[in-house]
Amino acid sequence: MEAQQSLFDFIQQQSGKLLEQTLQHIGLTFISLLIAVLIGVPLGILITRKKVLAGPILGLAGILQTIPSIALLGFMIPLLGIGAQPAIVALFLYALLPIIRNTYTGIKEVDPTVTDAAIGMGMSRRQLLYKIQLPLAMPVMLAGIRTATVINVGVATLAAYIAAGGLGEFIFGGIALNNTNMILAGAIPAALLAILFDGLLSLLQRMQLRKARKAVYALPVAIILLSSFYLLPSAYGTKLVAGFTPEFMGRKDGNLGLKKVYGLNIRTVVISDMIMYKAAYEKKLDVISGSSTDGRVKAFDLVVLADDKHIFPPYYAAPIVRNATLEKYPELTPALNKLSGTINDSIMTELNYRVDYLKQDPARVAKDFLVAKKLWLPARNGTKGTIRIGSKIFGDGYILANMYKMLIDGYTDLQAVTKTGLGGTKICFDALLNNQIDMYPEYSGTGLLVILAAGQQTVDSLIADRQKVYDYVSNAFMQRYQVRWLPPIGFNNTYALMMRRQQAAALHIKSISELKEYLTVKGKE
Amino acid sequence: MIKLEHVHKTFANKPAVTDVSFEVLPGTLLVLLGTSGSGKTTTLRMINRLIEPSSGQITVNGKLIQDQSAEDLRRGIGYVLQNNGLFPHYTVAENIAVVPRLLQWDEARIRERTVTLMKKLHLPPEEYSEVYPAQLSGGQQQRVGLARALAADPPVLLMDEPFGALDPVTRASVRKEFMALDELENKTIIMVTHDVQEAFEMGTRIGLMDEGRLQQTGAPEELLFAPANNFVANFFRDQRLSLELKTLTLNDIKPYLPPAAGSDNYQPHVLPGTTSCWDALEQTMHTEGVLSVDFRTEVFTMDSRSLMTALQVYKQTAANGSTTKSF
Repeated sequence: MEAQQSLFDFIQQQSGKLLEQTLQHIGLTFISLLIAVLIGVPLGILITRKKVLAGPILGLAGILQTIPSIALLGFMIPLLGIGAQPAIVALFLYALLPIIRNTYTGIKEVDPTVTDAAIGMGMSRRQLLYKIQLPLAMPVMLAGIRTATVINVGVATLAAYIAAGGLGEFIFGGIALNNTNMILAGAIPAALLAILFDGLLSLLQRMQLRKARKAVYALPVAIILLSSFYLLPSAYGTKLVAGFTPEFMGRKDGNLGLKKVYGLNIRTVVISDMIMYKAAYEKKLDVISGSSTDGRVKAFDLVVLADDKHIFPPYYAAPIVRNATLEKYPELTPALNKLSGTINDSIMTELNYRVDYLKQDPARVAKDFLVAKKLWLPARNGTKGTIRIGSKIFGDGYILANMYKMLIDGYTDLQAVTKTGLGGTKICFDALLNNQIDMYPEYSGTGLLVILAAGQQTVDSLIADRQKVYDYVSNAFMQRYQVRWLPPIGFNNTYALMMRRQQAAALHIKSISELKEYLTVKGKE
Repeated sequence: MIKLEHVHKTFANKPAVTDVSFEVLPGTLLVLLGTSGSGKTTTLRMINRLIEPSSGQITVNGKLIQDQSAEDLRRGIGYVLQNNGLFPHYTVAENIAVVPRLLQWDEARIRERTVTLMKKLHLPPEEYSEVYPAQLSGGQQQRVGLARALAADPPVLLMDEPFGALDPVTRASVRKEFMALDELENKTIIMVTHDVQEAFEMGTRIGLMDEGRLQQTGAPEELLFAPANNFVANFFRDQRLSLELKTLTLNDIKPYLPPAAGSDNYQPHVLPGTTSCWDALEQTMHTEGVLSVDFRTEVFTMDSRSLMTALQVYKQTAANGSTTKSF
């Protein structure tokens, strides 16, 4: 009951957004459907006349249909970028097969005696098509349009990955934030839309032939009308366009904080972080919600805007180690501390760039770095004991785990083994507590917000100061879990707003406040 | 009215129709008779250009069919199909009005014509105008198909197995209705069928086809009593006696009646001389073998045996090529 209540609350709170997304969703579905009908029906008619084309055209449309929808959207990005265009094209391609095939089948299945009679009566090909073939094929064609509509309503949820909007924004945001109400607020309307349109079209399909004639004329008008829904939400907006991940959209230390603390009001589209950086580089987006040490910040020449009002919590990385292990092997602490303070944001970005973008081996990148810093020593192949190093699946973790392994092997008589790829925070930390691993690199912000799940008041009092956060988690971990935070490595892998270096320079924007200033003064024209 | 000269048609190098020539005189009905695959339907469909001939000439109404657009040609020719080919999404009235609409008649004229035809074909307009073909019986559907073909009053009618899809009982009644229809007077008709009885009952002349060739064209008696070749002779073998009895009238066999046949045993029901021998024999069932026939010049009384004897003599004479009847 409580969940239902709060779902209702959520929908009430977000009703404006929900309406906008629903309109976009309907719009996306029907623009693509309209194009698919305009192209699919003539193609279907064509292949009933030019039979050699039937195989290739149906085959091609069939192949398009088998491409996973997310992959199809992916293929569209290099061709059409992000936003409505690639989404509409992808949806159009999906809708094509049922429409071509049903037009073809519908016309083919008209009783040959009837067409024979029509020709024998003296109808021209055009008259045959409009008076006989199309009306008789109509129920089958409508079935095709119906299938295409339902497919489109479903696939259109994925449009949120490429900044085309729609109900997918809530669904993916909800998944990223583990917010069931948000998922349902997107999923239930999407399902209702599918049921509604399916029902309406099946009604049309079953209608008496005579009445259906009028209804069929009304259909294109309805489709065009519904298509125009997409244009409504984007009719207003600002000069710059921001692309935020679904997760960022719903977080207090994300878009909600930007609105509340900075009063930032920017036209926002939701986009997958996989393609966000590239989209910014290709000028499809102006501002994105990146991760400050991501290798792609360097790859695409982006610049991080200063968070001058400190809404993004500090995510300073530091090794966290079981206290028992540290006491058993005192030589471990100095070896691990060798890394402390050596890696700042831009170095970490550079290292991530080499691993993520240049596809270099994390072990090699780690070694190159240590050698350059003159920290590398050959492994002693010690036998005193084994230290198990864990890491999360992200780039930072792999590289750091490799560095720590080399440091332990080189400076102590201990033997280090890495257990990388331990999924997310929860898996890593559980492994540590259960003595499956001895240490792993963690972020101070994650310790505060995720592991300790500190109360709102505590968070508010600490969040602006990196040192306070570090001290707090450090003490709490020791008391609660017998786990020690060693000194931070130096870089802060936090959320950050970023822009293209060139554009930021041209607009004189270095901080989020300056971005807000720019938008308020010049954005609304 | 309709004339074919040396018409050939090959499909993918296989001959379907070979060297077919015939002429159908105005107001007469030619039946193209043959088994499946004999080329009769192909021949018919070449006349309204549903199939283009490979070679040869076809003229309808004195005009080469290629000299006009296929649409115009077809709008001037009534066309009746085996499975009626009614448009399922059109009402009965709309189906009948198809060709007049294509010819852009005005609505009042179309309505009047539709009503007239429906009445003549025993489909009361108030009951059937707004009904869809699927709601009609097979016989009714076929009548609508016929009405549709007749709607624009074309001088020429092509009928492809028009009664083929009907059960034997319905078939006989629709056929009878059809032959009694005043709309068909003065129409030049070609009808395709594989039903020998139907061909003999309806055809002014019959063209018997086999393997794409016209084996013989002639009046029904001609095919029966003077077959052009063995194929024609064998074709009717199974039904020969009944066909002979149905084809010949009492008038035809009168000269061959044995003189002793006459008697004073007059029957109260006197048959006209135009009665077929088949019907006459049927009559003898009720009259203990005795018939009275009005031959105009005299009323003649005979029995069934003398009728059969006369038939026998007629056939012998026909085989010698010297019957009095000219084909």
